[in-house]
Amino acid sequence: MIPLISRRNTLALLGAGGAALALQASAQVPRRGGTAVIALIQEPGSLNRFLTTQTGSLLSKMAVEGLFEPRANGVYYPVLADGLPTAANGGISADGLTVRFKLRSGLKWSDGQPLTADDLVFTFQAFLNPASAPAGDAITPAWKLIESVTRVDGQTVAVRMKQFNPAYLELFNVILPKHKFEGNTAVTNQHPQSRMPLGSGPFLVKEWRTGDAIVFERNPNYRVAERPYLDQIVVRVVPSREVAIQSLLRGDVDTLFFPVTGDLPPLLAAEKGGKRIKVALQDTRSWVEWLWLNQSDNGDPKKPHRVLGDPVMREAIDLALNRKQVLEQVFGGLGYLTGSLIYSGWAAVDIPATTFNPQLAAQKLDAAGWTRGADGVRAKGGTRASLRFQTIAGDRTRELYQQLIQQSLKDVGVELKIQNVPSNILFGAWKDGGLIKRGNYDIAMSRAGYVIDPISWVNMFTSDQIPSADNVEGSNNPFYSNASYDRLAAQAGASVDRTERQRLYAQLAQQWARDRPSLPLYSSAWGWAWSDRLRGVSVDHWQGMWPLAADWHIAA
Amino acid sequence: MASFILRRLATSVPLLLLISALIFALLQAAPGGPLAGSEGGNSAGEAAMQRLREAWGLDLPVWQQYLRWLWLVLQGEWGQSFNSGQPVLELVAQRLPATLQLAATSLVLSALIVLPLGIWAALRRRSAGDYAISALAVSGMSMPIFWLALMLIYVFSVRLGWFPSTGLSDPRSGASGWALAIERVHHLVLPVACFTLVTVASLVRYVRGAMLDVLEQDYLRTARAKGVSESRVVAWHGLRNALIPVVTVFTLELPRLFLGSVVIETIFALPGVGRLFIDSVSVRDYPVLMGVLVIASVIVVASNLLADVLYALLDPRVAVGAR
Repeated sequence: MIPLISRRNTLALLGAGGAALALQASAQVPRRGGTAVIALIQEPGSLNRFLTTQTGSLLSKMAVEGLFEPRANGVYYPVLADGLPTAANGGISADGLTVRFKLRSGLKWSDGQPLTADDLVFTFQAFLNPASAPAGDAITPAWKLIESVTRVDGQTVAVRMKQFNPAYLELFNVILPKHKFEGNTAVTNQHPQSRMPLGSGPFLVKEWRTGDAIVFERNPNYRVAERPYLDQIVVRVVPSREVAIQSLLRGDVDTLFFPVTGDLPPLLAAEKGGKRIKVALQDTRSWVEWLWLNQSDNGDPKKPHRVLGDPVMREAIDLALNRKQVLEQVFGGLGYLTGSLIYSGWAAVDIPATTFNPQLAAQKLDAAGWTRGADGVRAKGGTRASLRFQTIAGDRTRELYQQLIQQSLKDVGVELKIQNVPSNILFGAWKDGGLIKRGNYDIAMSRAGYVIDPISWVNMFTSDQIPSADNVEGSNNPFYSNASYDRLAAQAGASVDRTERQRLYAQLAQQWARDRPSLPLYSSAWGWAWSDRLRGVSVDHWQGMWPLAADWHIAA
Repeated sequence: MASFILRRLATSVPLLLLISALIFALLQAAPGGPLAGSEGGNSAGEAAMQRLREAWGLDLPVWQQYLRWLWLVLQGEWGQSFNSGQPVLELVAQRLPATLQLAATSLVLSALIVLPLGIWAALRRRSAGDYAISALAVSGMSMPIFWLALMLIYVFSVRLGWFPSTGLSDPRSGASGWALAIERVHHLVLPVACFTLVTVASLVRYVRGAMLDVLEQDYLRTARAKGVSESRVVAWHGLRNALIPVVTVFTLELPRLFLGSVVIETIFALPGVGRLFIDSVSVRDYPVLMGVLVIASVIVVASNLLADVLYALLDPRVAVGAR
């Protein structure tokens, strides 16, 4: 018999069902309003990425947008631009030298003024003005290839290159508001826009209390309806890293600006232990720590380094490096290993790191005539395998793994003398006697190469980039010279075809791995952590969660 | 007294000039500079840095840089921060309230605690209580302040959850008026406790010693012999004289009202002058460093003068500037 449901029960059921539907609906719609708090450990002096390279300036991505933005895998998508320019849609000329950028219609700065092609032209003029200081990290080497930027109409500019520039999507990652500079193209960090830049992003920089907090407020003129959800984001300066992490775990702040690798183990443990935080490890490689092996004799590229000029020695050092030990003992097992020069971005080449094999290293050195002396250090033809090992002084984490590397190489008979120096001495200009620029080093260590498009990175190591008195700006740290490498770099940089470029970069990376002018030590693990209170967080961006703050909201 | 004060003020001027010149020379002698982190860049960066050097006067000889700075300061222009571009005095004025809240509260609390504690320890000399206070004082003086701060955070903020660990308020609370004032007090409990504990530890033995010196005096023995009650002997006759050196010691603590505690402000993320100083050191922000150090020097010189004057006013046996 089918049970009958009374009218009272029917109404009750309908009411309950309606309530359930309403609850589900409200749970799906993000709650508008509220404030999120970010703990910032190192306060920058400026937020304008046209002018500064300080990491903290990335916070401005919550307020300042560019034409295009890269996803975590390095693939660009249009933000302020009305589509990606291609040859098919007429955005790129047949010779590849002119690119048309078209803005979306109706764009506004956060102060309500229209954002137009005139602002793009102004930005380029500011870049060109010798009185400007465009040294920010948004100004990539691709800018130097621009010959002219011409206004086509109110929304469109034509960018003419001096030579083909496949990294054109890096351009205009930051746009300057012409009306804020009153047309004066001399843009320096003395201008108020240096500190609190105007943008078109979901938030605007409302207030900056130095040493205390930077306040971002909802942009009433944001181009996306109903975004952002939050009223405000407050970036609180918390100089102590330990206290910042505890503040997150305690719920005093909602996220940390840029946790470093060493912060991740306690955060992961806290998440596992039931703390109401979420931790997302980025599955793409971050900055690689490189050991640069000087190929020159004290800066003379015509004469090979007395020890590192021997390819067998370089191979032996590669085999003797216990990379896993560095990850396990210094970084709690977090991080990645790679053997590739091109390890990031859309063109990343998968070359595995050399397997630790000190016995093979010793055999190869023995066979090459590097015999052990009484002191355990190998020598050949009167030359001892004794090398200076240098990086920036004062980095305690680096000192830890320098000692591990020193011991590993000592085991195969190569002596390393750790002699760390200040940054301005290691990386100083040629005129100031910078050790790397002058070739006055044996093994130097630094992080580099985390790029979306490899063109500027690989071009640093072509033969014409070897530093000298005639080329003081040369960037070829290891004084590496290989005609095959030069040819592959030139071909890859001149091709429009991305598949072809990828093929050429793969060959180039293999060449580099064979020659070993530098050895990759490890790639940092990196990740993000935020409290359970903060919802809508996505990390699918090259620079992390900050450019995607429009979707953040507070849990209901 | 007036002539003494005028003479001290007159000698303070060349003293402060000498101090400012020494500070300037030491800052210049330190390795690195405001552009040290950017050096070695590409040609656009190098040209921009050269313009910055010229704009900041860093391309001038050191003695010219100093005279240039001095001339501007005498006109009331203390310069702009190399790091943020903000005027130096504006920066200091922004940071002063947090330091004052921390330091002034701690000094007042310290006085309220250290005086009865030191007196009690002196009156019960060589008792278990006296030894306990001395042991606590030595422990407090020996304890690294950053460790104490972190322990307070760990116990009272992380484990017990009683107090917040950073800042002066919670921007998410939306509090205003009295609610904001209460929130601020709540945020200041741990940093003030840390600062007070350290100050009490360093001063309690001084108060005890001053009280002991006075308790040994003949005039107190005479007062007792005349039948004055012990409490009146201590509070009226003894304490007044014991406080003379104590007041002057507290006067010498006045510079802390300006500089606060770098470590406490850093650990508890308080935007004070002490933290401004240490942040400026790390980026070689010369104008801010000169501004903070010179103002601190003025306060130290002034507080020393005040201490001398107070001592003379409180103790008629001391004649300042006596011939």
